[in-house]
Amino acid sequence: MSSVVALFGRTGRISLNGLHTVCRVCLLVVSTIDWILVRPLRGQGLRVRSTILHLVEFGAHSFPVVGLVCFLVGAIMAMQASYQLSRFGAQQFIADLVSVAAMRELAPLMTAVLVTGRCGSAIAAEIGSMKVAEEIDALEVMGIHPIRFLVAPKFLAMLIAVPALTVLATFVMIAGGYLLATAVVGIDPGLYLERTASALQMKDFSTGLVKSVFFALVICWVGVYRGFQVEGGAEGVGRMTTSSVVTSIFWIVVVDMMFTVFFYFL
Amino acid sequence: MINNDYIIQVRGLVAKYGETTVLDDINLDIRRGETFVILGGSGCGKSTLLRNLVGLMRPAAGAILINGEDFTAMSEDQRTAVRKRMGMCFQGAALLNSMSLYDNVALPLREHTKLKESTIEIMTRIKLDLVGLAGYEDYQPSELSGGMKKRAGIARAMAMDPEMIFYDEPSAGLDPIVAAGVDMLIRKMQNTFNLTSVVVTHELASVELIADRACLLKEGRIVAVGAVAELKAHPHPFARQFFGRQPEDESARSEEFVRSLMQGEQAANRARPGGRGDTTGE
Repeated sequence: MSSVVALFGRTGRISLNGLHTVCRVCLLVVSTIDWILVRPLRGQGLRVRSTILHLVEFGAHSFPVVGLVCFLVGAIMAMQASYQLSRFGAQQFIADLVSVAAMRELAPLMTAVLVTGRCGSAIAAEIGSMKVAEEIDALEVMGIHPIRFLVAPKFLAMLIAVPALTVLATFVMIAGGYLLATAVVGIDPGLYLERTASALQMKDFSTGLVKSVFFALVICWVGVYRGFQVEGGAEGVGRMTTSSVVTSIFWIVVVDMMFTVFFYFL
Repeated sequence: MINNDYIIQVRGLVAKYGETTVLDDINLDIRRGETFVILGGSGCGKSTLLRNLVGLMRPAAGAILINGEDFTAMSEDQRTAVRKRMGMCFQGAALLNSMSLYDNVALPLREHTKLKESTIEIMTRIKLDLVGLAGYEDYQPSELSGGMKKRAGIARAMAMDPEMIFYDEPSAGLDPIVAAGVDMLIRKMQNTFNLTSVVVTHELASVELIADRACLLKEGRIVAVGAVAELKAHPHPFARQFFGRQPEDESARSEEFVRSLMQGEQAANRARPGGRGDTTGE
């Protein structure tokens, strides 16, 4: 009997906690949108300088690692494709496979995962350590809204940086595939480019871009949410930083899945 | 209800963390232009009271009137307007670590006013000079000592020329000489700008130096309010114990402990494993 009660109690607590989290995330989302879209119209301006600084950090400084990884992934894909397609003598289709997969799927996904590791964790750690040091409280007492001061610039910067990085990553990934296919597999460069151009459609491009926008939202909100969740000292900051990366990658994959299914039937 | 002599009036304030009541039925009147000290032992709720006064926590019940208007019932924008007239100096100073000392002090001016940068620079330098930190403008908060951080925190709290300023444990973690320096600074601010200051502390030495009036908190309730001399002569046992710096009565505690053990044994007919006196007391 008592185990049944315990089971119900546990289920209830888990659902209440879940509901609580949903409410808090919604509150964060609404508040961010308020400070980005509504308040600036009423004269409470955005922090442009901070946004630009974050854009440089999230975008320009992430490019080397994103570029390198995506180049290699492109090359790997071409290699794997060649391994399979050569059995059918269909090696010229490497171009189709690499370009479509890069544009629709892998470039947005790899970019999002790398930006999560580089910047999502940094957002969580920054806000978390500010919370521990009472800096967030200090902002509030000064009448400076933490969402406006800390979150809005990061959010805008992320919303620009991730799609921009994704576009660049797509090109670099295709270039990686091109280099490997022409230099190692020995496909004619002209033929490869021709096949790439004919394989890609506008729809592929927009699919990748839409995904990347939603990935940006996930990275920023998860980082910020985890940052504000920090309690206690340095240990709490560490735990929530780790958790932000895991949660963020999980939701990126979930969102990716949803969009892939959606665009498959579209 | 509205009285111009009082800048802050607390009415029946109750604060809770979850189910635990931290503050219970607090009533306070803080006069315009005085230095009011909130005294009490560790964990008695004095920092919670301060957090309620500056609006970092919403009370479970009761009202906080600032200039006669209920601070707890205001909209976010109205609260921001009131906060521009408040300054707060945090225990760890809470300077923004990503900015230089100058930018920290200039921040409230940049965010809330449309002053030119040249005006802001003059005002910031005046504030830094006031707390004795002229020449340290370009230092990062991590490069400052504890006492300098406290001073910087005061300079930032003063940036908007507030009506009232709140200090959370201003002399905590400082050596006696530096702590005395911070106390003198609090007094100086008080005299120069005719500010209302609310100071949370448990340092008896500071109280004598800075307080016009004080209140003594014990377990979330106010034990005594009045001028420092009145508090010292207060008949309440806790007031006498606090100002006499007497330790907790160990014999009473151990008696209570034995009693609680016996009660526990009678009730459950078994010994409480690892039971301690203070788990059942308080």
